[in-house]
Amino acid sequence: MTNDISKSRTIALTGNILAWSFLCLFGVIIIVPLVFMFGASLMDAMEIITMPYRWIPSRIKWANFTRAIAGNDESYVYIRNIANSLFVSGCITCTTIFLSSLVGYGLAKFKFKGRNIVFLAIMATMMIPFETIMIPLYMVTLNLGMQDSYRGLVVPFMLNAFAVFQMRQYLMTFPEDVLDAARIDGTSEPGIFRRIIIPNAGPVIATVAVLTFRQQWDNLLWPLLVTQREEMKTIPAYIVKFAAEKYADEGAMMAVAVIASIPVFILFFTLSKYFVGGSSMYAAGKE
Amino acid sequence: MGTAKNFSYEQKKAKWGWIFVSPGIIFFSIFSFYPILNALWTSFLNKKLVSLKKPDFVGLANYVRILGNLDFWNSMRATVTFTIGCFVPLVIIGLILAVLISSRNKGARALQLLYYSPAVLSSAVAALIWLLMFQPSGLMNQALNFLLGTPGNDYKWMASSVMVQISTVLVYFWKYIGYFTILYITGIGKIPASIYEAATIDGAGSWNRFRLITLPLLKPTTVMVSIMAMIQCLKTFSTQYLFTQRGAPQGPINVITLNIYNTAMRDNNLSRASVMSVILFLMMLALTVIQFKTSKSDDISY
Repeated sequence: MTNDISKSRTIALTGNILAWSFLCLFGVIIIVPLVFMFGASLMDAMEIITMPYRWIPSRIKWANFTRAIAGNDESYVYIRNIANSLFVSGCITCTTIFLSSLVGYGLAKFKFKGRNIVFLAIMATMMIPFETIMIPLYMVTLNLGMQDSYRGLVVPFMLNAFAVFQMRQYLMTFPEDVLDAARIDGTSEPGIFRRIIIPNAGPVIATVAVLTFRQQWDNLLWPLLVTQREEMKTIPAYIVKFAAEKYADEGAMMAVAVIASIPVFILFFTLSKYFVGGSSMYAAGKE
Repeated sequence: MGTAKNFSYEQKKAKWGWIFVSPGIIFFSIFSFYPILNALWTSFLNKKLVSLKKPDFVGLANYVRILGNLDFWNSMRATVTFTIGCFVPLVIIGLILAVLISSRNKGARALQLLYYSPAVLSSAVAALIWLLMFQPSGLMNQALNFLLGTPGNDYKWMASSVMVQISTVLVYFWKYIGYFTILYITGIGKIPASIYEAATIDGAGSWNRFRLITLPLLKPTTVMVSIMAMIQCLKTFSTQYLFTQRGAPQGPINVITLNIYNTAMRDNNLSRASVMSVILFLMMLALTVIQFKTSKSDDISY
């Protein structure tokens, strides 16, 4: 009997050790490319291709960052591209928060004929991936005269169905009595939205904000289609151009990558619970 | 009197409901529904990007031409091999990681964040990091040579047609594994602890608990994760685009999104790009419908 218990303990312990070693090994695999990015951004180009690879730069080369920002033609257009990415992603995040909370509130707290149809139609747009409508969307942008402009970068992404869905789910649980009390007190409907709904929607606003910002930060295909001038491009397009032109300058390439990653990493480490919570909410919605 | 007042109150509320949702109706009509209908319509025309001539209606001619085009079928092959090569390891390893993480008492949250961290990077950054590691004198050759004991061998990660496909899959797998692991962890979290407790009292070991409880009860999550992973993989663009811009052979990794982009922007052929868009849309729609059907029939009640 005691033998049995100690045997099962040994098995549990071995299992634990095995599980931990697998998880750690996998963690190393995940982290190596990130370490490589940060290390190589400070290395001399020759050192990056040294065999065997040395993880720590022998001499810190800040010049990589200078070349990364200066670009191929010393135009320093990367600074403008970074500002563009911040501005475009920021604008889209703001409009998405505003519009999705309006629509989500309308769908969650008002009964009207056709509400379910409106909700289902908006949810159906989740089934239309951007990649399949980018060509007509590009034509719409051309017809509206918004190509090669901030409007062209922002307007087609001002709202997305997933944000509406999250807002609606969150606001459905909001107590009806509070709203009715405010109505009896004579608060107008826009006033209720502004003074009661918005201040009480903090967590869902944060979730929508981080997921929208991250997604727009990653957007490559649309800026490639809709912008021509270099100074209108965003970070991902600059990355591709830099990598294609500066063929052998690995250190500067990784410096470009590090600069592009800093804002999303800051966002991730300060607001990680909204990233993770938002992702699992997406799963719940899809199920 | 009371009912009349009630009626007007309901009407007023309905009116405000419409006011609140109207920005959504307008936005999605212009930027989602119109474009998909337009894509469908354009696929029946012969429309060029820089042409002043009014496009003609050509019916299914574009579809016939595309379906007889080797380049299109190569793109389908590239997309399907990429999707299968990616989603199978994502689903299996994601499940293993999630089960292992969920059974940890300590450190589960730190591990989740660690695995998730590549997912916050831009796809272009992810592709760029790996591109440098795939160079002939890069880390991946060194690692593989070390593991296989073949010093000095170049595995041509970016050059051989088989390896370049594996390379794109690796980039994607690395970027998304944490995301799908978290989806699984959410699914596992929904299984009531009482089921495990009952099984433990009945003498089930950890392997049997996994095999007889976790696995069957995770079936809906697995279906959902598989289809989300497939849809995600069908949309891949950045990695392939960056790789070809850096001189990787285009044929093996000319996935359908890359083909759509090049057909529209380089060849200015909007109609052919629209045909491919419609075909991609139908593929994704089919997957979504399957997902919807299975999740309806598979509802588990505890």
